[in-house]
Amino acid sequence: MSRIGVFVCHCGLNIAKTVRVSELAEFARTLPDVVVAEDYKFMCSTPGQELIQEDIKKHNLDRVIIAACSPLMHEKTFRKVVENAGLNQYLLTIVNVREQDSWVTDSEEVATEKAKALINGAVYRARLLQPLVSRFIDVNPDVMVVGGGIAGIQAALELADTGKKVYLVERNSTIGGHMAQFDKTFPTLDCSACILTPKMDAVLQNSNIELLTYCEVEEVKGFVGNFDIKIRQKARYVDHDKCNGCLACTEKCPGRSVSEWDEGLVRRKAIYIPFPQAVPQKPVIDRESCTFFKKGKCRVCEKVCEQAAIDFEQKDTFLDIKVGAIILATGYDLMDTKPLVQYGYGKYPGVYHALELERLFNSAGPTSGKVVMRDGKTEPQSIAILHCIGSRDKNNYEYCSRVCCMYSLKFAHLLKEKTHGDVYQLYIDIRAPGKGYEEFYNRLVEEDVKFIRGKAARVTDKSDNPDHAGKLIVEVEDTLTSQFVTIPVDMVVLSPAMKPRHDAKDMARLFNLSTDKYGFFMERHPKLAPLSTMTDGVFIAGACQSPKDIPDSVSQGTGAAAEALTIVVKDKMELEAATAVVNPAACCGCHNCVNVCPFGAPVFNYEKNVSEINEALCKGCGLCAATCPASAIITRHFTNDQVMAEMEGLMEF
Amino acid sequence: MDFEPKILCIACNWCTYTGADLAGTTRLKYPQNVRTVRVMCSSRINPSFIIRAFQLGADGVLVGGCHPGDCHYGTGNLYARRKLAVTKKILEFAGMNPKRFRVEWISASEGAKYAQVVEEFTGDMKALGPQTTFKINKD
Amino acid sequence: MSTAVTPYLEMAQAIAEAGGEAFRKCYQCGTCTGTCPWSPVTHFNIRKLMRLSQLGFDGIEDLMWGCSTCKFCVDRCPRGVEIIDLVRAVRGVYAGGGLLPPPLRAFVGSLTARGNPWSGDAPKRNDWAQDKYPLFAEGKEYLYWTCCTVCYDPRNVLVAKASAEILEKSGLSWGLPGTDAQCCGESVRKVGDLELFEKLKANNLGIINAKDAKKIITISPHCLATFRQEYGVDYEVIHFSELLAALIKSGKLTPKKDAGGVKVTYHDPCYLGRHSGVYDAPRDILKAIPGVELVEMDRVREQSMCCGGGGGGLWIERAKGERLSDLRIEEALSTGATVLATACPYCIAMLEDSVRTMNAEDKIKVKDVTELFLESLDG
Repeated sequence: MSRIGVFVCHCGLNIAKTVRVSELAEFARTLPDVVVAEDYKFMCSTPGQELIQEDIKKHNLDRVIIAACSPLMHEKTFRKVVENAGLNQYLLTIVNVREQDSWVTDSEEVATEKAKALINGAVYRARLLQPLVSRFIDVNPDVMVVGGGIAGIQAALELADTGKKVYLVERNSTIGGHMAQFDKTFPTLDCSACILTPKMDAVLQNSNIELLTYCEVEEVKGFVGNFDIKIRQKARYVDHDKCNGCLACTEKCPGRSVSEWDEGLVRRKAIYIPFPQAVPQKPVIDRESCTFFKKGKCRVCEKVCEQAAIDFEQKDTFLDIKVGAIILATGYDLMDTKPLVQYGYGKYPGVYHALELERLFNSAGPTSGKVVMRDGKTEPQSIAILHCIGSRDKNNYEYCSRVCCMYSLKFAHLLKEKTHGDVYQLYIDIRAPGKGYEEFYNRLVEEDVKFIRGKAARVTDKSDNPDHAGKLIVEVEDTLTSQFVTIPVDMVVLSPAMKPRHDAKDMARLFNLSTDKYGFFMERHPKLAPLSTMTDGVFIAGACQSPKDIPDSVSQGTGAAAEALTIVVKDKMELEAATAVVNPAACCGCHNCVNVCPFGAPVFNYEKNVSEINEALCKGCGLCAATCPASAIITRHFTNDQVMAEMEGLMEF
Repeated sequence: MDFEPKILCIACNWCTYTGADLAGTTRLKYPQNVRTVRVMCSSRINPSFIIRAFQLGADGVLVGGCHPGDCHYGTGNLYARRKLAVTKKILEFAGMNPKRFRVEWISASEGAKYAQVVEEFTGDMKALGPQTTFKINKD
Repeated sequence: MSTAVTPYLEMAQAIAEAGGEAFRKCYQCGTCTGTCPWSPVTHFNIRKLMRLSQLGFDGIEDLMWGCSTCKFCVDRCPRGVEIIDLVRAVRGVYAGGGLLPPPLRAFVGSLTARGNPWSGDAPKRNDWAQDKYPLFAEGKEYLYWTCCTVCYDPRNVLVAKASAEILEKSGLSWGLPGTDAQCCGESVRKVGDLELFEKLKANNLGIINAKDAKKIITISPHCLATFRQEYGVDYEVIHFSELLAALIKSGKLTPKKDAGGVKVTYHDPCYLGRHSGVYDAPRDILKAIPGVELVEMDRVREQSMCCGGGGGGLWIERAKGERLSDLRIEEALSTGATVLATACPYCIAMLEDSVRTMNAEDKIKVKDVTELFLESLDG
């Protein structure tokens, strides 16, 4: 036998205008097990709350029903009220007689009748409700940031400054990411290295950041607040504890490979640091191009190293860490433009992609900042920059890559400055939405860059026109004058689409994330929660979520740090109480629950031969309960009996 | 006397229930024959709920959940979609008019759609008349 | 007098309803015009045609006959706009009311009256066969659908004969359609006369179904594309080159006579390549012929340059300097080839016409792959 109290809120006139509230309370009193029913103007106000609390005590209520606005509005509020009066918060039911009753009809009769049915349903259910106790678990205070680009660096620094310990894991031998490859950044034309290297150095100096370069995440176990991570520290054949960064080893090394950092424009040594300002300043040996590993001879680096830091016996090692939250800031790749045969990348040496040009501009790059062609000597007198190569394109990537218009404008400016050549900009639209961006565009127009509105159709080296001999011809329609135009240039620069990292899907699987249809990590909500994911405790920042520029990446890095803090700043975490539990006696061992749960909460216990639900992972959705053929799973607060009882009450009137 | 159908709606907390609230916030008006049970996810729905609803005298049963792909819990509604499709076939096989059971994917921002679906469904149930196939008469 | 124009949305609506609603997707980037082979040689501007259609502006009539439906623009369009559908819709809306160019009036007239575009007598459709080749009857495996062009055009009749001879030698069970067969209707559909197309289609489907044909070979890629995409049936339709390549591969037919080290270059017909995805079969045939050195032009496969014959182009006279087939012959000559091979009767007609008008007959010959193959088979 329950002792139920029903409280009907007027909500001023919002409910009372259409629902006859006192009649409703009167009706409630007639229902079995209802010992008290009140109506009041504003239940959520202090006197309203006190009314409920007094009645709980006075009438020894063990169930409370509040007929008011939507539970999505005030369920949390009223749960506290009830809890403070000594009653378990899960013994409360909210009946929605506003958003789904008084506000959607003009008829008093209809509204009141429906409200009666709704209260009846709630009473039937209330009888079967059970008190639930929230559980608390300890939270690990450390955070792991995966990806040492600008977004990851920013997140790591913010967290470290709050006193939290951060593991910054980067697969390359240096942090810095793509931003470290750039020369100048738009729209300020700040030197990229000048603004980035202080941050990189800050990472190195910060005692709260453990920098793990040349490392990759191997395995992720656990759950929010308590992740167990296994990290693979790739063999670098140099003992970084002994190495002092003198780089003598790199001078004599005979091994050669194509430089990834310089986008294949030059070669690098087998023992190398990617660029002079690399952090940490400690070289690694690339096994595939090392003469010793390939032929068993050489070992020059070992000979010249005064610290005896070379160690050819080194193996991959593993590091196990525990963290409370994870931030993924793994960045992007540029699309390979070779398959777009119409643009001739890879076929004509005069065709470049954006990152190659960045390396040419960069004073620490393969040409020391001079813009020369692949022969290392020839200066281009005329350059065409082609926008939207692979972006905004159903045949490749349907989205706009957001940064290419701006960096293409930047290129135009730098090309004008460094070559004094003719610069053509072939575009569909100019997208300049950021702060100072439109002004930057204006500046470029005034610098006599030739803007042609039309997407480039083709690049060829063949022409009937003798004036075009030796040049690359860009074919495009100038849509503003409806003319087919052929432009002879020395150099063509492609602005390729920014796409997810080639292994983004593998990463997503590792961290239990979804990816969107293009392969970017999926955020919880594109507008209201762009940095969190459906996996509690794992956050994303930067271009791995979607293409974006440096200011946005930095903002997201800081934002993700704040999100991660909401988890690790607490000592303990409250777990969802309305979770599912398996009745082992009924479990038939079919594994269906294990297979369907999106959160991996049910785990099969092979010793007992039944499923068990990890309450820390369970979100209470109820999928397992509905899937279980043996009806062995009970979802607390939404049991079969409770739901069907509510239905019975609703259908009675 | 005009027949007024009793309609049970089972709505998922994150999308349809929120969408229904939105219909209220925007003061849309729709027939009030519908009584709503809130569940956390459409995947919670056991086919026996639907059958029970008809036994209890529902003239029509409406289920609302997030659009496939948008489930708050990731994949819940995908299972729901299949399960409820089979449920509909079972109902038909058991002699129930399948038109009395309708599944709609209504997101939290689709208040108008909720109102429209309820309006339509109520009209359909009115036309079909009282459900007697499964209803258990208390006497 | 105001020069201001106002969007004429009823026209845009009419075009959309005629099947051109794809213009809603176009964001006017100009890739189509940049890609279109006609852009460097004529004033035809496909993007502009799209734009005028979007708003119903004047000027559509001046542009709508320039397209030869080669599909290069469609393949490159970043929005996936069905550009050829727009061209067809625009022509359909305008084609009534006397807006057909004179050469196309004769073309449509001939199709209406005689069921073929060459003013040929319908009962004489199979005369080229001289009773040497079987007619298709129920129970035979392959129905060889000879294109009107190979039946009536004197140059292309040689292709009909060569291909039929190959089929005879292959030992396959096959037959020609009767003289009640009419034009597949591909070109007239692209010219915009959907009603006439449906009539021709109904006639042909009737024949095919009555004879219960399950496998159809076509010599023209235009018939191939139309049967596969517009006739909506479930029988197998293949191009002659696909069949021949398979026969060579299985060893049923083996070319023996050495061609003597001749340099041959292959022109990918738009309707065989871009429209139907067949690029390798004709090349496999050429490579199988001993003594043939296959050299490739620059614009091959998906980037092949249209000969200008599609979309009604075969019947439209173009001024010198505005002919794509002239450019194609130049490109073929630049490879050093003395034979330009192809696999489409329209391409043969267009390319041979260019060879003649360019006085290049002693420099290069245009041949169908079946003709080259047959020459090598006898020996």
